[in-house]
Amino acid sequence: MIIVPPYLHKGDTIGIVCPAGFMPMEKVQSCIETLQQWGYRVILGKTVGNETGNYFSGTDKERLNDFQHMLDNDEVKAVLCARGGYGLTRIVDGLKFKNFKKRPKWVIGFSDVTILHAHLYSNYNIASLHAPMAAAFNYGEEQNPFILSIKKNLEGKKIVYRCKAHEMNNRGQGIGELIGGNLALIAHLIGTPSDLDTKGKILFLEDVGEYLYNIDRMFYQLKRSGKLDRLAGLIIGGFTDNKDTERPFGKTAYEIIHDVTSQFNYPVAFNFPVSHEKENYALKYGVGYKLRVGKSKVSLEE
Amino acid sequence: MPEDLQPAISSIENWGLKVKIGSSIGKRENTFGGTDEERRKDFQTMLNDPEIKAIMCARGGYGIIRFIDMLDFNYFQKHPKWIIGFSDITVLHSHINRNFGIASIHSKMCNSFPSDINNAEQVQVKSIESIRKAMMGREMTYSGSTNAFNRSGNGVGILVGGNLKTLETLSGTKSDLNTTNKILFVEDIGEYLYSIDRMFWNLKRTGKLSGLKGLIVGGFKIKPDDPGEDFGKSLFDIVLEKVKKYSYPVCFDFPVGHQKENYALKCGVRHNLIVSTSGSSLVEIN
Repeated sequence: MIIVPPYLHKGDTIGIVCPAGFMPMEKVQSCIETLQQWGYRVILGKTVGNETGNYFSGTDKERLNDFQHMLDNDEVKAVLCARGGYGLTRIVDGLKFKNFKKRPKWVIGFSDVTILHAHLYSNYNIASLHAPMAAAFNYGEEQNPFILSIKKNLEGKKIVYRCKAHEMNNRGQGIGELIGGNLALIAHLIGTPSDLDTKGKILFLEDVGEYLYNIDRMFYQLKRSGKLDRLAGLIIGGFTDNKDTERPFGKTAYEIIHDVTSQFNYPVAFNFPVSHEKENYALKYGVGYKLRVGKSKVSLEE
Repeated sequence: MPEDLQPAISSIENWGLKVKIGSSIGKRENTFGGTDEERRKDFQTMLNDPEIKAIMCARGGYGIIRFIDMLDFNYFQKHPKWIIGFSDITVLHSHINRNFGIASIHSKMCNSFPSDINNAEQVQVKSIESIRKAMMGREMTYSGSTNAFNRSGNGVGILVGGNLKTLETLSGTKSDLNTTNKILFVEDIGEYLYSIDRMFWNLKRTGKLSGLKGLIVGGFKIKPDDPGEDFGKSLFDIVLEKVKKYSYPVCFDFPVGHQKENYALKCGVRHNLIVSTSGSSLVEIN
């Protein structure tokens, strides 16, 4: 059984870090205020707003130490990554999960943070929260259902997510632990110590800004490495801002994915609200869900 | 179009060889040279044709992964022939090395033969000429320039490698390279530094860098960082930090890649890599 970290109570502390790309302090402000309004205390890691002059929010050592500090600080009940970008691959093997294993806490984020979710799930069997990050907490967005889904999940409320059926869906229902994340990173992790065993699982995938041929290539990699063979279900989120070659690929991202996945019998739901856009529900990574793909509706129930 | 192949055909015929054009040449299906089935069938026909002694891919791009699992290598295994190309053809090199242990030639393709070989740049002519030498059984020797970041050493092993991105996307599949005791060469084009960094992490985290006899870094045409997104590390930093725990030779700027100077390398064949302060050399040994 998956180990689920303790849910949060009012007055608990959330630590915010930037384990990958740089993020200016002012862009984290609305997130901090919202978390405080939800009743949490917020502490900021040294990497938040840390102007380095380059892409990263700190050297590998600074980012590693900051994250390690949040993992080891017993006051901190959840670690929210303010943004992704690129950088977790560089530090994941340096992180020590000894204390975290004894006292699990929620690790929150998506995109590059997929590496942590997959790593924690595969190595420690500990659940985490695949969810929007600081940039999604813009003023005026605090009440949108995607941001609110973070609050509900942290409070331990069970949510049923619903969306409209997509014409390419494969109907059916499946039960399994929910894993997945950003396609490019799931592909990148294949063969590494953070790789996912997808057998019997509900796999969700999303991506942004990829060339169509590369989406095709990554789905072939998933298929050829056996990742798609024995799923309980497949959830295809947003594949947005796709790029194309000079001679067009000739298919949309969803057509590409459908071509590869249509041979399987398990339920497949396209256009589920998990993405780099606003439509991005908080999903408990590693926790059991039931996916129902019906004629007109799709539901994902914890 | 077949006329785009004319420089390649003329050169190859000048070498005293006969040329047979596959049915996928000139075909078009969006970005591809024909549908998956048309491309598969064409390749399969060449694999099974006893008259064909070598198959040169006219160009790379993207597409072999879509039909490689439908190819039947039975005849090829009994009667090996040279498969020639690079970039996307890395899929084939890796697949036949891993599964059949059959050598192949990583080299320029038809789209790189100069239309006027007499007025072409020397390095391009030499690169094309190296395909002939490799095909015709010459023992190959190569030299790389000096580079302050090279790591000296001497290693012997079977040469494997190719396009780095392509190698990464073979991870976990049945075409994935086993690099233990091998000399690995990699090259790439059009990738951001962060992406190159991530790919080298993939090599490292999948165990592909730990048992090498040598590492050859070919051409890397790097996509410049977006404004304000300065990665802050060079290609040299990226590579050397991944291999600092190991002691095998490492050389940079080796003449292999998406560039004019791209010599034919025999994948699957034993080589000796020697890197010193005066440059690097790679010598085929049998």
